[in-house]
Amino acid sequence: MHRRMIGVMFVCLCVFQIPLLAQDFKLFDRNIQIHGFATQGFVHTNDNNWLTMYTSNFGSGEFSDFGANASTQITDKFRIGAQLYDRNLGGIGRWYPSLDWAFAQYKFKPWFGIRGGRVKTVVGLYNDTQDLDFLHPFALLPQSMYSIDVRDSTIAHDGGDLFGDIRLGSKYGSLSYTAYAGHRSNSPHGGVAYLINSDGLVFKSLAGLQYGGDLRWQTPLKGLLIGASRLNQLNTNSYVYNSPGGPIPINSSDNADWINQFYGEYTWKKLLVDAEFRRSWDDTGTPGVNESQINVHAWYVAGAYRIIKRMQVGSYYSSYWVSFPIPNLVPAGTGHDYDKVVTGRIDINRYFNLKIEGHFIDGYGYPAVSPIGFYMINNPQGLKPNTNALVVKGGFNF
Amino acid sequence: MKNATKYLKIFIATASLVPLMVGAANAGNVKIIANPSVKADSISSAELRSVFLEESSSLRDGSHVEPVVSKGGGAHSAFVRDYLGKTDSDLQNYYRTLVFTGKGAMPKTLSSDEEIAAYVAKTRGAIGYVSSEMSAEGVKTLAILGMENDGSRKLITRVEPVYPSTLRTNHIGGTVRLKVTIAPNGGVEAVELMGGNPVLGDAAAAAIRRWVYAPAPSKTVNEVTIPFDPNR
Repeated sequence: MHRRMIGVMFVCLCVFQIPLLAQDFKLFDRNIQIHGFATQGFVHTNDNNWLTMYTSNFGSGEFSDFGANASTQITDKFRIGAQLYDRNLGGIGRWYPSLDWAFAQYKFKPWFGIRGGRVKTVVGLYNDTQDLDFLHPFALLPQSMYSIDVRDSTIAHDGGDLFGDIRLGSKYGSLSYTAYAGHRSNSPHGGVAYLINSDGLVFKSLAGLQYGGDLRWQTPLKGLLIGASRLNQLNTNSYVYNSPGGPIPINSSDNADWINQFYGEYTWKKLLVDAEFRRSWDDTGTPGVNESQINVHAWYVAGAYRIIKRMQVGSYYSSYWVSFPIPNLVPAGTGHDYDKVVTGRIDINRYFNLKIEGHFIDGYGYPAVSPIGFYMINNPQGLKPNTNALVVKGGFNF
Repeated sequence: MKNATKYLKIFIATASLVPLMVGAANAGNVKIIANPSVKADSISSAELRSVFLEESSSLRDGSHVEPVVSKGGGAHSAFVRDYLGKTDSDLQNYYRTLVFTGKGAMPKTLSSDEEIAAYVAKTRGAIGYVSSEMSAEGVKTLAILGMENDGSRKLITRVEPVYPSTLRTNHIGGTVRLKVTIAPNGGVEAVELMGGNPVLGDAAAAAIRRWVYAPAPSKTVNEVTIPFDPNR
């Protein structure tokens, strides 16, 4: 119902060109800004069902999200704000709204500030902006790194950040840093919960301490940015096994999960090129009891070119490789996901955009353990090694 | 046939000039305007960048400022390109990233130079940019300061000052500090001694008047220091 409403609204707004302007009003003598966004997508695949949608017949339009935020500047250095986010992606999200971010920020100096509350976690180029479709040329960011179904594993923490920008002079560019620590939790409507529930278990929680940092250098070479991120997580996983004899609660604690990510971005006139490498390590099970590790190597190279003011074309190659105690005889396609992508984006005006994208995917990761868009429950007939997908997505923001 | 070739040549030559003419028309010159409540009379290019990228909301003298941006136009394109090092779409994405991650606000955005000038005139702390040809009332125009070596105005031709022989033989030296106003075309418009020996200052000023900088969209003011060492 919500999806239909958003779809109808979107079409009306596009067709009739109703100007949407950000709301800026006064409350208790403070300027309050209201902004929002929404997207509606459609995905068709030739074989496997993808991203928890049933995409392989006609296709699926269960691919929507929206967000809205309010913020105000209390003093020169102090601001507060919050954003709600809601989505429906096949079996994920299901229109349960979440508090995306809500924090207070105090900037003592350009080179030092603090923020506290629920804060988006900075990892790599796009972790904190991966939901903001209108910022990116692609309908789907490289799934090897920004897997849309398990976004909540890294998306935000309840805690604090230290941050700042340090100018090094025209000869040396500038440095931006973020250091953070807090508690994070997976959504009960996210991909990990979906996987656990599809195994006949009942997901309760997956949460724990998250801490790390990001350092990025805007080099003196105009348009070139390079950086590195580190994220650490300690997780406790709780779920229930409904045995014939009654429900059995199961708890497990991970030793230490981590992500190392290195990235670079270069913009020159109408050209954008970026690349990232991520190595992640995920302990599963209980230390000393049923411990095992998931070792992921992921990288991508992407390029986009704005051919005219309102049109951009782009392409990327995304590689995901997972190592796990996999049985010797495994079907082709297991353990990797190599995605070749071409895209076209049209900016209808300042507020609306439309993207058309083709994915040519070799492999499906290791769906039973480390999901990357493919789930056995959506593919009971078994997964085929290759998937071609067409993604059409429209969005607006104000 | 001969005429046809001649006209074709003229057409090609004219057509090849069109992009240059359009580029020149679009580039425009920019001036920075501020509400009279802003105490500063000048702003450095680094401060401009910092303020318009929302890294800072005050100038070095403590003046509170709030940036006002334009939706488009020649002055906007020149300002965004020359002072922020971005394209318009890059800048929009930059602001949207701030807004939708909660780290900043969308600056006041207006459609024309006239609207910007009117808003800046009535809004305490407002700072914006308009075409340098526009006469705006009720606002102050800020000189754009660029330090000698910060890359904001590249020095193309440098003439060394002549050390006055009387001072050199009497071992009188020191460093002089001068404020140099540079025209958009790169020529030195004015030199003012800010500190140091006045005789050495005159010698330095005479040389600096012959310096040539890289062209820029608007007039800028650089601070230049020149040492005079009698032992060299």
